[in-house]
Amino acid sequence: MNVIATLGASALLTALAASVVAIVASAAGHRFANRALLLAGRRAIIATALLTTMATVTLAYALITNDFSIAHVASVSSRNMQLEMKWASLYSGQPGSLLFWTWSMSLFMAAFTSITVPKIPWGAAHTVATMGAILCGFLVALIFLASPFRVSPITPADGQGLNPLLVDPGMLIHPPFLLTGLVSTSIPFVLGVAALLSGRLDAAWVRHARGWALTSFLILSIGNMLGAWWAYTVLGWGGYWGWDPVENSAILPLLPMIGFLHTLIVQERRGMLKTWNLVLVLAAFALAVFGTFNVRSGLVASVHSFAQSNVGPYFLGLMGLTVLASVILIAWRLPRLHAEADFDALASRETGLILNSYLMIAIGLVILGGTLFPVFSELLRDIRVTVGPPFYNDVTAPLLVLLLLLIVVGTVLPWRGGATGHHVRRFRKPLIVAAASWIVLGVLGMHSLYALAATGLCVTIGYVTFREYFIAARGLRAARGASWPSAVAGIFGRDPRRAGGYLVHLGVAIMAVAVVGSTVYQQQTRHIVSPGETFEVAGYAFHYNDLIAKRPGINGIEVEGLTRLEVTRDGRNVAVLEPGRRFFTNFPDQPTAIVAVDSTLARDLYVFTQGWDKDRKAEIQVFVNPLAKWLWIGGGVYTLGGLLAFGILRRDPVRATSPASGAAPADAEPA
Amino acid sequence: MRKATRRRLTVIVSLVAIGLVTLGAPREVRAQTPTGTPSPAATRPAPARPTPSDAQVLAVEQQLLCPLCVNERLDVCTLAICNDMKQLIRERLAAGSTPDDIILFFETRYGPKVRAELPRRGFNLVLFGWVGGAIGLTAVAAGCALYSMRRDSDRRLARAASHTSSRPPGSDDRWVDALVDEAHEDDAPRGTR
Repeated sequence: MNVIATLGASALLTALAASVVAIVASAAGHRFANRALLLAGRRAIIATALLTTMATVTLAYALITNDFSIAHVASVSSRNMQLEMKWASLYSGQPGSLLFWTWSMSLFMAAFTSITVPKIPWGAAHTVATMGAILCGFLVALIFLASPFRVSPITPADGQGLNPLLVDPGMLIHPPFLLTGLVSTSIPFVLGVAALLSGRLDAAWVRHARGWALTSFLILSIGNMLGAWWAYTVLGWGGYWGWDPVENSAILPLLPMIGFLHTLIVQERRGMLKTWNLVLVLAAFALAVFGTFNVRSGLVASVHSFAQSNVGPYFLGLMGLTVLASVILIAWRLPRLHAEADFDALASRETGLILNSYLMIAIGLVILGGTLFPVFSELLRDIRVTVGPPFYNDVTAPLLVLLLLLIVVGTVLPWRGGATGHHVRRFRKPLIVAAASWIVLGVLGMHSLYALAATGLCVTIGYVTFREYFIAARGLRAARGASWPSAVAGIFGRDPRRAGGYLVHLGVAIMAVAVVGSTVYQQQTRHIVSPGETFEVAGYAFHYNDLIAKRPGINGIEVEGLTRLEVTRDGRNVAVLEPGRRFFTNFPDQPTAIVAVDSTLARDLYVFTQGWDKDRKAEIQVFVNPLAKWLWIGGGVYTLGGLLAFGILRRDPVRATSPASGAAPADAEPA
Repeated sequence: MRKATRRRLTVIVSLVAIGLVTLGAPREVRAQTPTGTPSPAATRPAPARPTPSDAQVLAVEQQLLCPLCVNERLDVCTLAICNDMKQLIRERLAAGSTPDDIILFFETRYGPKVRAELPRRGFNLVLFGWVGGAIGLTAVAAGCALYSMRRDSDRRLARAASHTSSRPPGSDDRWVDALVDEAHEDDAPRGTR
């Protein structure tokens, strides 16, 4: 008997039992108004988290100690793998990623149970029961369909090792962020379901969901950005977003979550959009489950489909159940989901926020259609087609330009509208900035319509954002005589959601400029050169020095071939780049690219080697990606904005607990 | 003697010409159709063309995907089959084939999945219809939502005739006003709060 496997499997089985206890105890506690049962339900959720933690630690131990009698360990690890890469092995492959998914979800739910559930007596039982049901659904898949503790009849001397594409430092953080981001959508969903079940349909659930939705949005965004960085530095095709089906699955839940973060403000402030907010959180969670199904079913072919098995249909059923239950619940409560306040004017910030969330759904539907179309084509016609970047670029470009326009309009429009003259005055300067940007960019030679429109709008977003900050900081300075830095910090301390949100918008604008620069104006060249030869790209001379072989002897890498290139410009040394290829002992047919990038604020020189012959004559591809570095800078600004929106600069602890300030207080029982 | 020499020369030249024709023709066909699949370009006489530039070759490669990998563009794929495809593209461009001919050739050989760009015809139009429908429906839904909210609001206002929106509309400095008010509150002596 394998003690480790038995311990892990037992922990998972007990966790399943605990999740069932959470459902039954909460339902019974609510039915019979029994506090002891309600408390038992909450503790069962925390117990589930502890037990899945125990299972995860057990699997990590098996990976570290090279226990190849466990099938999952043998399939994703090997003796010469570094310790940190074994962390990546933990969540690679089907059973490992499902365990990580369930573990991180249980941790989220335990945190929610400890922090928020005591504050919502109206929905405590409903949230705990819903969480128990979700955990139960995932644990059943984990135990009965894809157990990470299955013992092999024969113990191999060494494991197969990690999939070559995953042997990269980026894999240490990208999947954990993405998987955690996907599971975090469950918390706003749970609150939405609790509001529907309990009938507490005012802004209470939204207030409590806000912080969790912001967390989910931030983690998912970081996960997607890290994914783009991984694709850029590992896959070796010169880009960072390939509209791959699994990439699409990762971004799909983010879109309704962004919409929800905008429209929840309308429900909080005006008591409107109750139904729509519920639809958005339910859609985000359903799409997160769709992503799980998509990755695991092998239904849609993808470079990311490292784990395919028979759990696909199970998750399809789970997703169907989620959507069906959600629709029934909303339909049941629809008569009570009416607005509490008047909608004063169409030309108001409310309209901007509403249109933003609808636009997010439109983008989501377009991406979903493109992702699933190859499946339908094969199903109905038996013809496999590829829906690739040209399609997505064509159909999303106008929508993204519209999104940038809405950011400008939404920032400029006031709440509850105003007089026409008032609007004209507010929009005058942004319009001048936009028009001036378009003229200048056009004169400078930017003739692509979407590139021109997007870049001009990004400049305008920068203008309106800084104008908002300037006006607010100037007001604070006048009122308190504070210094400029102190006044700016004061803005983020006093209204973090709004000030942080503006910073997120600025990050989006910076990223959009980077996307335009690095895609529309990308240059790609290919050169076949012998050692000692030089070729030129965009004014840079690339001197191919020689082919170097390295044998790291770790992570299953057999040999790395590196083509040493000395890059100069006008006789000045710019960089020494060593792109190449990495070959793996256990995966001889899957060499991976070693990408070399010389990055400045103006451009990236992105180089990779396609191969070489026996005379060391190498085939080298060079991409010049203008402004690519700004994608990561914009991502940083976006992330900083998201973090500041939590109110980490808030100075007044009293305001931190008031309803208007951001943190959710405890709710009284409804009358 | 002179006549005989001329005849011999004529025979030699004729034989060389025939030899060149018979050697040259099959070679061109082999280059055009490595698997014997007829191609529109193969049936056309290939006029003398300059060697295609790397940019021309890359432009065609970027429109194709690797037939074995998943969603991997041909120009960056390093599999042997892709290297063969790249070589073939170069040869066909040199032989005078157009990019469309070449893409059609590979589509015939490996199926529509090798096209990076989905052709806007036939069943594929369903997807473009979906895109239009999704955007249109979402726009209509957003319009309906805004309209119904406005209508409900008007009804409520009409019912409560005494109720008029006395609150001032938003102003440029609404955010500033709130921040400044808070700042004043913070600065006020404790007893006056």
